[in-house]
Amino acid sequence: MSELEESEPSVILDVSNLSVAYGAKKAVDSISLQIYRGEIFGLLGPNGAGKTSALSAIEGLLKPRSGRVLLDGIDIQRDPAHAKARMGVQLQATSFQSELTVRQIVRLYAGLYGVSLSAREISDRLGPIGLDSEAGKPFKQLSGGQQQRFALLIAVIHEPELLLLDEPTAGLDPQSRRQLWARIEHLRQEGGSILLTTHSMEEAQAVCDRVAIIDHGKLLTTETPQNLIAKHRDDPRVREVAHGDVTLEDVFIGMTGSEIRD
Amino acid sequence: MTDTHAIAAKPDLQVILSSLLRADFLVLVKNRRALLLGAMLPLLFLVTTNSQKANGRLGGSVFIVGLCITIGLLSTSIGGYALTVARDREKGVFQRLRVTPAPTWTIMVSRLAIQVVANLIIALAVLVVGSAIHHLSLNAGQYALVLLVSILGGAVFLSIAQALVGLLKSASTVDAASRIVLIALLLSGLLGASGALGSTWESIAKWTPVGPVTTLFSTVLNTAAWSSYDTMSLLACGGYIAVFTGVGIRWFQWDAR
Repeated sequence: MSELEESEPSVILDVSNLSVAYGAKKAVDSISLQIYRGEIFGLLGPNGAGKTSALSAIEGLLKPRSGRVLLDGIDIQRDPAHAKARMGVQLQATSFQSELTVRQIVRLYAGLYGVSLSAREISDRLGPIGLDSEAGKPFKQLSGGQQQRFALLIAVIHEPELLLLDEPTAGLDPQSRRQLWARIEHLRQEGGSILLTTHSMEEAQAVCDRVAIIDHGKLLTTETPQNLIAKHRDDPRVREVAHGDVTLEDVFIGMTGSEIRD
Repeated sequence: MTDTHAIAAKPDLQVILSSLLRADFLVLVKNRRALLLGAMLPLLFLVTTNSQKANGRLGGSVFIVGLCITIGLLSTSIGGYALTVARDREKGVFQRLRVTPAPTWTIMVSRLAIQVVANLIIALAVLVVGSAIHHLSLNAGQYALVLLVSILGGAVFLSIAQALVGLLKSASTVDAASRIVLIALLLSGLLGASGALGSTWESIAKWTPVGPVTTLFSTVLNTAAWSSYDTMSLLACGGYIAVFTGVGIRWFQWDAR
């Protein structure tokens, strides 16, 4: 964060007044946020808060009712192919054609991003994530951790400027989760920017430079985890749920309520 | 992520299409058992109708071969394409492809192109076996015309399959509905040929999606002179394609949720 504070931050993703609706139901209600180059930004919210809908609109999967999404100045609605070529996406539930092998999927997605990879280059990419020996296997035969690592490899196959991750650690064991965060951190160190959603406040506090809390489709706040905790430390709603030192999770529950969402 | 991401450009459409076509072709090759099973029904029908009695009832050898190719196209298009699309949509395969720079139409065009190839393989297999069993002697021009009608007939049934996946979301519902449509169209083709339910039903059956396709196959296999009935059949095929494709595109959703 210190580097970001020292120099003028450069915006890679600019979302302004974004609204998404399913019929009469508003899933995202006029949210605005900016992601800076080289930062990890966490979009947090309870189930059904509008995180995935917001992400889907940014990814170009959903047509927003209103608002604008600019990726490095490119409007995702007006020039989706150009914008998508600059972003990498890992969806919440990743699925590839079940008949294709790991190697064939790499070749397919590399082609879709205009990246030409030789057999050697494919091996070179699969090696570091421990999948070189699984290259001839269908995706469905990989374990959960392997599938997650592979999905991330596909998301960054074209070395995107912005990586969008929808609950990347959901369902992973602690080892796989650690590995994944290490890879995400590595991608950031190489200059990438990351926008992710997660239910793990502990992880968000540890990894994200800034977080935004969304609930009922509205953006409640955008801050660094440290500032967010400091700002709301004395909030009675937060104090009520905190046990000992106030954490990001306490602030999150204090702001969004304790009731269980669907 | 290195400096290269700063110059990320829109990928070439030709590269995108060739990548999709290669992947969909690989899927077709890996599903060759399903393709073989799709060919079994018309081949079985060819064998079981190889008698004078059956020939007489169903309008002769040429009509039977045409009907069998139609049945083959019907089963691969409705039983194959509709189910694959519904299943992949439910699994989220399309959503994964849609977040890439590939325009959405390329995803569908690639699928349809590969299905046309599958249809042509089935049509050719049935034609070759049918000609041998029913002792038809065909020239190269007739083969070419049969393949051309196969593309047209395949398009009729693919448009019906597209309408099914457009109107129905869940893969299991598409599965059930496609079986019903498949059986209804098969019966309409057979009843139309045999006249078993009387002349009114025979007339109706002749104008279901199966009827005009079978008529066109008979014409090109017989090398008969082009008649107004053939023109009407051709127009009917065009009409079915336009209506069902329109429905299939208008109501198609990429996400099953």
